[in-house]
Parts: sequence; C-alpha cells; structure tokens
Amino acid sequence: MTTRELLLHAWVFRPVVAVAIAAVLVAHTAWLRMRHPARTAALLGAALAAVLALMSPVDVLARGTLFSAHMMQHLLLVLAAPPLALLSLPRTERAAEHRRLPAFAYWSLGVGAMWVWHAPTLCNAAASSDAVRAVQTISLVAMGAAFWWPVVGPRLDQRLADPAAVAYLFFACVACSLLGIIIAFSPVEVCTAYLQPADPLGLLPLVRRRWGLTPAVDQQLGGLLMWVPGCAVYASSILAVLARFYGAAGSMRAQGTP
Amino acid sequence: MTAPAMPAHPEARDVEARWFEWVGTIDHKRIGILYMVTALFYFIVGGIEALVMRLQLAVPRAHLLLPETYDQLFTMHGVTMIFLVVMPGLTGFANYFVPLMIGARDVAFPRLNAMGYWLFPLGGLLLHYSWLAGGAPDVGWFSYAPLSETPYTGVVRSQDYWAIAMLVLGVGTVATSINLIATIAALRAPGMTMRRLPLFVWMVFVNSFLTIMALPALSASCVLLLVDRLFSAQIFLPSAGGSALLWQHYFWSFGHPEVYIMVLPAFGMISEVIPVFSRRPIFGYAFVAASTVAIAILSFGVWAHHMFTAGLGHLSDAMFAASSLLIAVPTGVKVLNWVGTMWGGSIRLTTAMLFAVAFLIQFTVGGLSGVTFAVAPIDWQTTDSYYVVAHFHYVLFGGTAFGVMAAIYYWFPKMTGRLLSEKLGKVHFWMMVIGFNLTFFVQHFVGLLGMPRRVYTYPDLPHWEALNMASTIGAFILGASILVLVLNIAQSVTLGAPAGSNPWGAWTLEWAAPSPPPEHNFDAVPPVNSRRPLWDLAHPDAPDARVGPDEPPDATRPAAAPVAVLSFIASEAAFFALLIIAYAYFTTTPQPGPSPANSLERVRTGVFTLLLIASSFTYWRAEKDHEANRPRGAIAWLVTTVVLGVTFLTGQASDYVQMTRSGIGLGTNLFSTMFFTLTGFHGMHVLVGLVAIVVVLALAFWGDLTGRRAHVMRTVGYYWHFVDIVWIAVFSVIYLRGTL
Repeated sequence: MTTRELLLHAWVFRPVVAVAIAAVLVAHTAWLRMRHPARTAALLGAALAAVLALMSPVDVLARGTLFSAHMMQHLLLVLAAPPLALLSLPRTERAAEHRRLPAFAYWSLGVGAMWVWHAPTLCNAAASSDAVRAVQTISLVAMGAAFWWPVVGPRLDQRLADPAAVAYLFFACVACSLLGIIIAFSPVEVCTAYLQPADPLGLLPLVRRRWGLTPAVDQQLGGLLMWVPGCAVYASSILAVLARFYGAAGSMRAQGTP
Repeated sequence: MTAPAMPAHPEARDVEARWFEWVGTIDHKRIGILYMVTALFYFIVGGIEALVMRLQLAVPRAHLLLPETYDQLFTMHGVTMIFLVVMPGLTGFANYFVPLMIGARDVAFPRLNAMGYWLFPLGGLLLHYSWLAGGAPDVGWFSYAPLSETPYTGVVRSQDYWAIAMLVLGVGTVATSINLIATIAALRAPGMTMRRLPLFVWMVFVNSFLTIMALPALSASCVLLLVDRLFSAQIFLPSAGGSALLWQHYFWSFGHPEVYIMVLPAFGMISEVIPVFSRRPIFGYAFVAASTVAIAILSFGVWAHHMFTAGLGHLSDAMFAASSLLIAVPTGVKVLNWVGTMWGGSIRLTTAMLFAVAFLIQFTVGGLSGVTFAVAPIDWQTTDSYYVVAHFHYVLFGGTAFGVMAAIYYWFPKMTGRLLSEKLGKVHFWMMVIGFNLTFFVQHFVGLLGMPRRVYTYPDLPHWEALNMASTIGAFILGASILVLVLNIAQSVTLGAPAGSNPWGAWTLEWAAPSPPPEHNFDAVPPVNSRRPLWDLAHPDAPDARVGPDEPPDATRPAAAPVAVLSFIASEAAFFALLIIAYAYFTTTPQPGPSPANSLERVRTGVFTLLLIASSFTYWRAEKDHEANRPRGAIAWLVTTVVLGVTFLTGQASDYVQMTRSGIGLGTNLFSTMFFTLTGFHGMHVLVGLVAIVVVLALAFWGDLTGRRAHVMRTVGYYWHFVDIVWIAVFSVIYLRGTL
C-alpha cells in the first residue's frame, strides 16, 4: 500500500459515529437555524475533528499500528472536538444558584484524560480491544468537554475569570508537556501493543520502511505531538482569553460607559 | 523638588547610622539601588574579564593568557554577566519602580525583599571565592556534564562553588519574583486594574512567573550535580550508567526561558521610554501585553534547539525548529508595535530615546540571527562558532544592556532628583553604539569563517587577525563608554540639574511622587482611570478614554500571603517534577544492586503514607474549627496534625536506618542516589511544614490568628497539602510503579 492509497481508501464508515455526528448537526440546525455563522462553523469544525479522529486513516493506523496516530486521535478528541462543540452553543447566564465544582476538578479531568490513558496497561488494552477503545473514545470526549467547560462553555456564570483561565490553561500546558516529554524521551516503550502489530491490512511495510517510523521513532513522534502541537493549542487558547480580556476594555470604550 | 537629605552634624555616629540605613534597609527603593550598584560593580568585573580575553585574541597565537586561565575567564565572564549583572540589575529596577508605578507604599514583603538582595552578594562571593580555592569554574556557563564532574575537574572545587552559588542566587531570585507577583497582585492603588498596568509592570509580572517556573530546573540540576560531586554518585556520568544528555535537557529547560527572563524587563523599559519620548501612547497595548505571555509560554517549549548537535533525532529537531521559528512571531510583531508608536509621533531624541532606538535596531539584528539558528542545518554549521557569540551579544548587550541604559537615563532623575548630563550621555551613547557594533558585528563574519568560540587562540588564517583586531578595538571603545557612564553618574548625583518630579512629562504614577520619593512614596496617589493617569491629571479637558470597567469602591485585592505561597508552591512543584522525572528515568531499566523490589518495604511505607494523607484531613478540620471560632478544637486538630507528620518522618527515618544498615548509601547505584535525593528533599519539606504548623499552633494558642495574621492558617494549609500531594506522587513513582 502506498501513502496515496492509504489516504484515499483507508476511510472507515462507523455507523454509530456517523449517526451521532449527524444527529448533533441536525439538532443544532433545527435549534439555532444557522443564524450565527461562527457557531455553525465551530460545530462543523468539531464534526470534522471527530470524523478525522474516528473514521479516517488516522483511526485505521491508531488501531494497533502506529502510536503516533493514536496520539493524533487522542489530541483531536480532547483538544479539538470538545472546545469547538462548546463554542457552537448559544451563551446563557443564570443566577449563581447552581455553582460549579472547583476549577481544579475540571482541570484534573482534562489533564487526567491525557495521563490516565497513557498508563501502559490501559494504552495497550485500548490498542487491542474494540470495547476498551469505545470506552476510551467516549471518556476522552467527555473529559475534554469537562476541561473546556470553564473556559469556553456556554454558561457564562460558570466560566473562570480571564486571569484565572490563563493560569488554568498554562498549568494544563505544563502537565501535558511533561507527559509528552516523558513519552518522547522515555527509554522504554509506553505502549508495547504497537511493537508487534498484527497488521491485517498490510500497513507495516509502508509505515516502517517508507515512512521510517520504527517503534522508537513512532513513540518519539507521539510524545512530540502531545508536547508541541498539544501545548500550542493551550497557548493559543491563552492568547484568545487575553484577547477577550483586553477586548472587554475596547467594547467598554465603544459603549461609552461612564 | 527635594534635595537628598544631608545630616546636620556628620559625626562618626551618623556615618555609622547611615551605613546601617543601607545595610539594614527594608525600603524597596534603597534595596533597588543596592541591587543596581552591586550589579554595576559586577558589570565592571565581568567587563574587565572580557577585555582581558579580547587582548589575548587581538593577534593570532598570542601568549598573554594560559589556556586554563582563558577557560576560567570566559566561564566567569558569562556566569557573572548573566547571574550577577543582568538578572539582579533588572531586579533592581523592578524593585525600585514596580511599587511606585502601581501606587504602592512598598513591596508586599519588605523583609523577604531584603533577604533576596543579600543572597545576591553572598552568591557572588561564593562564586568568586573559587579563584582562591584552586581555580574558577572553567567549563562554560552551562557547565556541561561530564566535564563538570569530579573525574574531569579533579580535586579542584570550582564546580562545587559554582553550583552552590547558583543555588543561593536561585533562592534569592525566586524569593524576589514571588514578592513581585504578590506586590502586583495585592498592592495596586485603587483604579489600577490589571488592564491599566504600565507595560513595564506587566512585563515584570509575566517575567516573575517565568522566573519561578524556570529557575527550579537550574536548582534541580545543581542539586543533582552536587550529589554527584560530593557523594560520588553517577547521575550525569555516562561511564557509570548516568546520562550527560539529561544535564543538557535540564540545563536548557532552564537556560532558554532564562534568555527571555533577561530580555522581557528590557522590553518593558523600552515600552515606557518610547511612548514618552514620541508623545504618543503605546501602539497596540493589548498586543504587546498578550504577546509577552505567548513568548513566556513558548519559551518553555523550545529549549532543545540548543541541542541540535546532541543527536536527538531528526523528528525532535524538526519539531523544535518549528516551535523556535514560532516564537519569533510575537517577538517580531512587538518590534512593529514600538516602531508604530514612533510613527507619526513627535520624537525627542534624548539620550534615553537614543538608547531605545539603538535597542530596536540591534535587538532586531540579534533576533534575525537567532531565527537562523532555529533552522537545524544552519545550526549544525555555526554552532560553537563566533557567529553564536555575535548573536547572543546582539540580544543581551545590543538588546538588554541598551534597554537598561535607556532606563538609567529615563529613571535616574526619579531616583536621585537630578538629571544625568545629556552632553556626557550623548558621548556615552555614541561610544557605546560604535564600540558595541564594532566588537560584535565582525564576529558574525569571523564565526562564519569558522573560528570556534571558547578556544584561547587561533592560527593566522586570512582575515582572522584583522577581524579580531577590529573586535578588540571595539571592545575597548565599549569599555571606555562605560567609564563615561560611571563619570556621568558620579558627577550628576551631586552636580546634575535638579529634575523636579516629572522632568520628561511622563504619564505613569512614579512621576507623581517627588524625586527622589520619600520613604512612604506618595502622600496621595492620583486617580487612575486609564493607562496614563498623569496625562489625565494634566489634561482634564481631554483625558484618555477609560480603560476597562471601573472597580467598585469596595473592591478588594487578593491577599498577598496566599498569592505568594501559591506561587512558591508552583515553583516547588516544578523542582519536584524534575527530581521525580530523573528518578523515573534512571529506574525504568533494572540495574544491579539495590532496587525498589529488593530494598523497600511497600506495605509499611504505605501505612505511613496513609498517616500523612490523614494529616491533611486533620489540618482541614483545624481550619474549619478555627473559622467556626472553636479555638480548642482547632488546637486539638493541629496537635494531631503535628503528631501524624512526626510519625511519618519517623517512619522515613527508620527506612533510612534500615537501608544504611544493609550497606545502601547515596552513591551505591542510580536507584539509591535518586531515592535518597528525592525522599530526602521531600522529608525536609515535611519538616519545614511541621515547623510552620507549630508556629500556627503557637499563634492559635495565644489567640493571635486574626487581623493581619488572618491568612496564616489558610496559607500554611496550602503548603502542607502540597507537601502531601508531592508525597503521593513520590510514593506512586517509587513504591507503586511496576506493581500495577
């Protein structure tokens, strides 16, 4: 198989995923009638991230062939789809009678999504068992949504103040970087399942020889993906929060508030 | 204006008293000046070291210096300039001006501030004492292992002094940074919201976070190096199973953020000077402020570009090249912000402004050559050549030092009440620009021609002599320009023209205080509605638009103590994370000798772990009782906490005794080294936490936990819970790993 064939043909139709995505899209359109182009775009982005993560060649490779593909899937499910989906919802503000949990709880869920599923036992189980993979996928999206809730969630009263959100994202970035660094430079395999793939599709010659991804390089790439692009998501979110922070000053001037 | 106070009867007692006023001061302004004067002293020391090296390099095959002496000189020059000049010099400005610019009376913790300062000369003395103890450090400022290890340094203690000095300086720097964070968070004047902070204050704020998160990496590296050197361990010795590459990773994970630690405050200075002398507010305040945060965060993710030649693999190289190129974007656009501020402004070319403009040009040159290093293949060709030397001197001298010069000319009148001579200032400026560019611009070429850095002499190859001679001449012009500055300062302190409170027509709060400001800084802080409060005061008919929402009149600031302790905890967490990673790194592959499986008692330590976790619970109960005004209950729970903590420590001690009895020491193998280091540091933290709790207990006993001590209980609690959480991590990694 060549790279071209892989990219063209290794797409998998997964009815459950497709139905879920379609249902969300239909519900969103029915509810908001696409009146906010930005929100519609955010939702489409989330859908695209989900499709890429779960039905594309990324998913095919992540099923036991490439650790780095698994990592890409992991990042899409935690750092791309949930925040975009949250951004597509209309914002509401309610009186503070429903208080949210301490921010540390949401933070731990988001960071836990990164760390827990890379414990060797769980990582191997997810790479080889479909049932565990399903649990993994659902839990990643859920924990990702929990993490992003206090930053971009629709409930404005449950969002963190901007400076606190910066700290929240910064320490998440640190925690994920640490894990990425450990994976990238670890002398031992994190996920031994990727060492000797069963390879029913005959992908190994392509990834090992043509792409040069030996198990060691593959793991390094995985760690680097979590570390550099992963942290870049947090860093750009911090910039967005700061833009919001200073933007509030601009709108204040525009309204001529005394 | 007020003249500096002169004693009426200068008797011996007065002299003594005046000495004590400086030595015993806790006034942020005096401490700031102490920082600056000490940094200026070390600047001259480091400068002389540089001039001696340039003399040696003026002609090929010179024999002025022995190779060993040359090695010591370039190492001491680098260490001195970075740790004893730039960092404390910038800290001095932050100390003096941050409280003034936010309308505060002093920093949040004046005594901690004094301690931070006095650790600085102590560190400097320790470092320089190495000259008398057999020789100064001679393996470069980054002290690469294994060259810094005993097999290579022999009996000479130079690296021990280096590492201990780094630890002492690191403690002082982190303490001061925590103090600045707490000051900016807690002591802003009414109306001074975070959106209205002067950019210098904002940059110091961001920089302090950068410092507390980056310096622990240096401290952890130095601790591990000292363990190697003093206890015959092998952490960084590849010949004995250790890893020299780990030193590079740890050092540069500090070393690269350090570059930004040395340049961000200078960005802040430029952001104050350029608007004032262009008569325009800064162009794109929000961008300058936000991009500073972006730079600070990205700076933690690019260190491996210092290691392109270490063989990390093409993938890492590519990733780090990308992230390093990325960090140039926020930095580059900042330059546009400064130029945009000058564009269309009515520029006054005072000496301060001249230095700021030179900063812009030279920093851009240094930034551009920096971008070339981000491209790994170019780095392979130019690494360890004079091209590198040219690059970082353009950033740190052409950038930071010129920024500091701008700040000196800008703020000297505020500190002394007198203006520096503009005439001497212009002489100083032109000599410095010519000397600096002559010294370092030619080094780009000599580097590209292949001349390696850190070699005491060179062969007589075409052009090398002419270029090196030009560089040496430039260095002496540069040195002479500093003499002009010293002369200008010495003369203007007593003879300079009186400045008045606001000689430049500037807009930030420090210019509302008299020059020099009285000990309490302000009689009344002007109202703050925008980023230019003094402009609003002078132009009541055309004030700036209000920035951001106003604060309600009863707005409160975060309390200083919890902010400080949380910052401290963040810094400590980084330190422990590095120790834990090193432990995990060295114990993933089994090795002969002691190991967790054959020398640790999992169950017994597990019980002690539960006791420690329980002590967090009992402390929490003590807090609840204290809040509910049940002092007896609080005291009982606190006593329980102390008992649990002491029991835990006893358990640890008995573990140690048992291991020592069976012949396991700190240097036995990598497992035992990292085990004792990690648990030993944790044990010390438990001890410190217990001492703090005993203090809380005493305060509770005397009923003294109210008023300004209201936060003590909560603050100590943060620390105690942190110590417990660290133990859970340590226990999981040491005792539980491999059992799941």
